[in-house]
Amino acid sequence: MRDAYLVGAAQTDFGSFPDESYRSLFRTAFERARESVPAGLDPDDVEEAVVGTLGVGGRQLGLSGPAATEHVGLHGIPTTRVENACAASGYAVRQAVQAVRSGMADVVLAGGVEIMTDMSGDATKYWLGVSGETEWERLSGTTFAGVYAQMADAHMAEYGTTSEQLSHVAVKNHRNGANNPHAQLGFECSLDDAESAQTVADPLTLYHCCPTSDGAAVAVVASEDVVGEYTDDPIRIAGVGAASDAVGLFQRDSYTGIEASQRAAETAYQRAGVAPDDLDFAEVHDCFSIAEILAYEDLGFCEPGEGGELAESGHTALDGDLPVNTSGGLKSKGHPIGATGAGQVVEAFKQLSGDAGDRQVEGATRGLTHNVGGSGGAAVVHVLEREQEVDA
Amino acid sequence: MSAEKPKIEAVGAYAPRFRVSAEEFERAWGRFHAAGVNAKAVPDADEDALTMGYEAAVRALDAAGRAGADVSFLAFASTTPPLAEEDLTARLGGMLAVPADATRHVFTGSTRAGTRAIDAALAAGPWADGSDGGDDEVDRVGLVVAADCPRGDPDSSEDHAAGAGAAAFVLSGSGAAEVAARAEYAEAFPGTRFRRTGEETVEGLGATGYERQAFTETLAGAVEQLDADVSEVDAAAVQAPDGKLHYRAAGALGVDAETIQRCATVHELGDTGAASVPLSLAKALEQDDERILAASFGSGGGADAFVVENERERGGDAVAAALALGGEDAERVGYAEYLRKRGELTSGPPEGGGAYVSVPSWKRTLDQRHRLLAGRCPECGDLNFPPEGACNACKSLVESYEEVQLPGTGTVEAATVISQGGAPPEFAEQQAQSGDFAVVVVALDGPDGESASVPAQVVSADPQSVEIGDRVAATMRRIYTQEGVTRYGFKVRPQGTE
Repeated sequence: MRDAYLVGAAQTDFGSFPDESYRSLFRTAFERARESVPAGLDPDDVEEAVVGTLGVGGRQLGLSGPAATEHVGLHGIPTTRVENACAASGYAVRQAVQAVRSGMADVVLAGGVEIMTDMSGDATKYWLGVSGETEWERLSGTTFAGVYAQMADAHMAEYGTTSEQLSHVAVKNHRNGANNPHAQLGFECSLDDAESAQTVADPLTLYHCCPTSDGAAVAVVASEDVVGEYTDDPIRIAGVGAASDAVGLFQRDSYTGIEASQRAAETAYQRAGVAPDDLDFAEVHDCFSIAEILAYEDLGFCEPGEGGELAESGHTALDGDLPVNTSGGLKSKGHPIGATGAGQVVEAFKQLSGDAGDRQVEGATRGLTHNVGGSGGAAVVHVLEREQEVDA
Repeated sequence: MSAEKPKIEAVGAYAPRFRVSAEEFERAWGRFHAAGVNAKAVPDADEDALTMGYEAAVRALDAAGRAGADVSFLAFASTTPPLAEEDLTARLGGMLAVPADATRHVFTGSTRAGTRAIDAALAAGPWADGSDGGDDEVDRVGLVVAADCPRGDPDSSEDHAAGAGAAAFVLSGSGAAEVAARAEYAEAFPGTRFRRTGEETVEGLGATGYERQAFTETLAGAVEQLDADVSEVDAAAVQAPDGKLHYRAAGALGVDAETIQRCATVHELGDTGAASVPLSLAKALEQDDERILAASFGSGGGADAFVVENERERGGDAVAAALALGGEDAERVGYAEYLRKRGELTSGPPEGGGAYVSVPSWKRTLDQRHRLLAGRCPECGDLNFPPEGACNACKSLVESYEEVQLPGTGTVEAATVISQGGAPPEFAEQQAQSGDFAVVVVALDGPDGESASVPAQVVSADPQSVEIGDRVAATMRRIYTQEGVTRYGFKVRPQGTE
């Protein structure tokens, strides 16, 4: 099977943009992604596209993929819309890799888009949690904050994880986001800010929750046969793993870990032939602070139950041994559902291209992205590496 | 053996745990218009006449040692049915697992509805069912449920008095309390406590003398028709639209005020409408009063009267009773909270759309939501709830789960408290009315020590107090209302609370 490479990736700012539509945001991300390709990208080279979106608000629920790609002049190519809740565009990238590896296409565009802030708060709430298990979990009165809060409660009870450890995740990610011009909440916060903020779903405070966001992100995936036309310093998508689980928390074996993440990571590491210790940075799915702590454990950065301590230790800070969420993560950068997975790949591209500015991880050679749908019904993990550095 | 006519075998009663006091009304209004009512029961935002009736009914059935499957006759009485049109005994029967072929009646339209339901049950029985043939006669029962939560305009005496509560009676040939005499009486008194079509609030003319005359004359008329001497009764369960009127009728009824007060519930629960006399009768039976007069008044000028003779008089068994009327466990609320809980201050569910469970889809889950039917995986033996699709434990695609009835108790596995504004829109109105709520994943007990995990809201508890490891028990509440159709289903409450 031939290799797939990430030759470009870019995003819009994440935030609240009343002047924008899902089409205009997608266009901005698309144009920036073209510019991000070192040798440039002729739109005619794109043979296929995969667009991730949940479709918050309804707008273009059906055929939202073609609606986006035709809008930017990618006329006539096959476009598929992927929906896996918050993991939609992580899965879009995975599908682009599949298309390239299978030989069906040499250049595939993988992106995502979401508009979440142009509705009333009430209307937004109808859409938050549409990816929870609907008949039982949602109708017990929870949105995702509630379900992740239950996981936090179980994790605290089993391992002694503390609210302060959750807050450490928020503080770190805000510090990183303050250095990311695309971040929605690009300001620093103190431990006290996070601890004393109003409760959303006990034990999660407002600072333990990501915002709702508008935004788009686009990545360009190319085959080993053509990658040389686009870059002299190729970034290989070395390993991809993905897995599913029951949509409702109550239907799963564990409330203190996300099995889909564990399986996806295991596959991705195996395919890439690497271990967690080989990573220089990771972008993980921190929709709530507890989710980042679970990710540390599920992705093998530490043993089960040690995630809280890892967050507190500084190990995952920008100057730590394994910087996590250098972009600010979902917490600070923002979480436009359908764009989030591709947005993580954008950060990986910037880090591996040495283009991450003040938040650059020095000598970044290999990184991981981890994107979760819902409370763990879907997960996808990519391992990316600078081929020349790895081979050197 | 020929079946005996129905007697009262067991009683159950329920009142919501919230109370608002007369002083709170005085503070809000300058004066309180329901003299004699010290406090009254306030339903939670997810309670209504149907859920209160369910609470009373399960207690009565439990006290009798009976199951819903034993019920051949089901009557539901309320002046405040949650729907003006729909046979609510279908839902109530479903929640109680009453057989599909049971006789059902709904009584409404006046505060006499509760006693009309008892009267109808007495006339309909006996229900002993010899259909199995031979000597194995199956002992069937009648179940009468009266539940009410009347309301008036906030500045009216009707609203100041309006309380909430429910009583239920299991009737069978083997009951200990016999209805020795019954009678009724009607004379037209228009304008005495009425509710206009389409309105939620009752009103009166405020013509005090006229209303008192209507009340006294019709009640006395019914009592006079009784083929029994009421002067010797130990307790008199008399309709109590406020804290005083029923005492004013004492003379006309031939009983003294103490006899009425002995089983009165109005002082602590308020006006319980069609459940007023049933609640007082339940209280009298619980305290083993031997000879009881029950006398109800209905809007427009109708009355029912019964004399109930408790066999205790003849050395027999007492009527089994399970009354959950709050008492010292009650939680006090202020007037503003009272208005909030009643939905007077909230603006209804928000606009929007999103996740949607159609009514037909909801109906498919009623075995679980109303009757807690789980399923055992034939491959690995694990309990699944709901029992559909692949097994949660072994993931094998199950053809057919073995039906397992869960007893309705369980242990909290994970808990959170959803703060105001953090609930899905389906729950926004409930949250606006009653504030933060706890949501747990609960491992519901199976019959053999195993369990089935399920998410559930927690009621009757300080949400912050709910913790992993807590024992809880299932109860029935409104889940949410969409398209005008209220979805009822189980929630959980800390075990040992009412």
